[in-house]
Amino acid sequence: MNSEKLDQLYTYVQERCLWQFGSRTWDRQESIDGVLGTASDLLTGKPPTLETPQQRLFYADAKALVADFKARFPWISDAGPAQVRELIDGLKAKLVDITITNSRNGELNHSLY
Amino acid sequence: MPMVLLECDKDIPERERHIYLKVDGEDTRDFLPISNAPTIPGTLSERGCSFCGAKLVIGGVLKDTIQMIHGPIGCAYDTWHTKRYPTDNGHFNLKYVWSTDMKESHIVFGGEKRLEKSMHEAFDEMPDIKRMIVYTTCPTALIGDDIRAVAKRVMADRPDVDIFTCECPGFAGVSQSKGHHVLNIGWVNEKVGTVEPEITSKYTINFIGDYNIGGDTQLLQKYWDKLGIQVIAHFTGNANYDDLRGMHRAQLNVVNCARSAGYIANELKKRYGIPRLDIDSWGFNYMAEGIRKVCTFFGIEEKGEALIAEEYAKWKPQLDWYKERLKGTKMAIWTGGPRLWHWTKSVEDDLGVQVVAMSSKFGHQEDFEKVIARGQSGTYYIDDGNELEFFEIIGLVKPDVIFTGPRVGELVKKLHIPYINGHAYHNGPYMGFEGFVNLARDMYNAVHNPLLSLAAIDIRGGAAATSQEAAE
Repeated sequence: MNSEKLDQLYTYVQERCLWQFGSRTWDRQESIDGVLGTASDLLTGKPPTLETPQQRLFYADAKALVADFKARFPWISDAGPAQVRELIDGLKAKLVDITITNSRNGELNHSLY
Repeated sequence: MPMVLLECDKDIPERERHIYLKVDGEDTRDFLPISNAPTIPGTLSERGCSFCGAKLVIGGVLKDTIQMIHGPIGCAYDTWHTKRYPTDNGHFNLKYVWSTDMKESHIVFGGEKRLEKSMHEAFDEMPDIKRMIVYTTCPTALIGDDIRAVAKRVMADRPDVDIFTCECPGFAGVSQSKGHHVLNIGWVNEKVGTVEPEITSKYTINFIGDYNIGGDTQLLQKYWDKLGIQVIAHFTGNANYDDLRGMHRAQLNVVNCARSAGYIANELKKRYGIPRLDIDSWGFNYMAEGIRKVCTFFGIEEKGEALIAEEYAKWKPQLDWYKERLKGTKMAIWTGGPRLWHWTKSVEDDLGVQVVAMSSKFGHQEDFEKVIARGQSGTYYIDDGNELEFFEIIGLVKPDVIFTGPRVGELVKKLHIPYINGHAYHNGPYMGFEGFVNLARDMYNAVHNPLLSLAAIDIRGGAAATSQEAAE
């Protein structure tokens, strides 16, 4: 995997996207999986799943993200499906690490909101 | 660079865990300020109380609701008129204030009878008003007055009224934040789902965490109207009590202030399956992104693009005029919590302003994760800052302008540093496209005000010595 490209995407998402900072661990995991999964579909030409309101929201966030990626990182439009999936998987792992696994936020695992 | 122990904090070294200076190569896995924690003895906190978080921030915004404050008169006065949230019905919420005016005898013998009498009196005096929120305060909570039982009795006597009780005395939590929480959860437990709203559009949202400061809600409402989107409830800017009882019928929750109202958005998702979209409503780029996302959710992207193009054509030239003159300005943000992360990148991207220090009164670690991810290296991130720390930080970062509240604002004015009211705005609204131009104008007028340099000149001459002698 091209770590420089992955770092570009990661830095951008950290700085820009509120969906990674949900209140609890499960909110963060759901958003990271949902938005980036949909972004991967969009970047690889697969039609997004839009059956539930939550899936439509993932699509709304992912569409904005993909547009920003393409505008800021033109190389992503030339990446093949395998490379896109690899980058998005790497991005997911990095976001889970900073926002969940190694987050210092002491409120992430409260059972109640 | 890890956490910072300021010189002024040498006798309260625990403060080191609350102040962070970001440097390149670090992130929130390495350091994250302690926050939403009790104020350390010895520090002069700028925080408000938990009752204030419920009443002043959220409940008191409602435009058709009596805010009955069960406590001494000061609890009412100090949470009234210190925020500017107008309404489209003549500012009912700003004109009136209600209190049971508890005195020593009521504390000794109990205040429930006095509360009941006050509630009836308020409804009798305002026969058109049928909604009320009753708040406990520190003394009435301590003596155990049962405000829920009193509210039930009043509702039984008056079948046409509805009353919500908020049991959040000032001491309930470490700051205003607890009051946000209690009101959010209480409302969704007791009131959401008790009114069926009239649905007038295929597209429905709740707009959560916007309190119509300086007219924010009313400005954003123009956008929703143009897009054909029905806002079932604004939580709680320019809102009616019953609007908020119908929140369960929206298709999407759009959240601006995640700190004061993220709780109800989470609960609406959990209980009613309504997804939560977090957006930033301050700043051109952010506002456009928020509109795009809402429109994508509903499949009305063309309408969104048309609105954005129209607003950009109207306001972007003005924004750019200010950007040209504000570029390189050093700004400090000392507000409640979320405005730190809402503003730091928007002023940087849209106005070329550099945010050099940020302090939060009641933010949680989630807020610090967001702001440290967005903010610059070389910037200080402070939880629950005190006045001495502010002085020291000012010396370290030398801001050109500080966005904060009027009390801290008066402090920094004495140092000849201009301040902008970061809570209630100088000349709002600040949200949306037009609003961000207002923010830019206020910042420009503050930073370039010629009085600023004149104020530093002592023109008293010999009179100065006379005054000093008189003072001695």
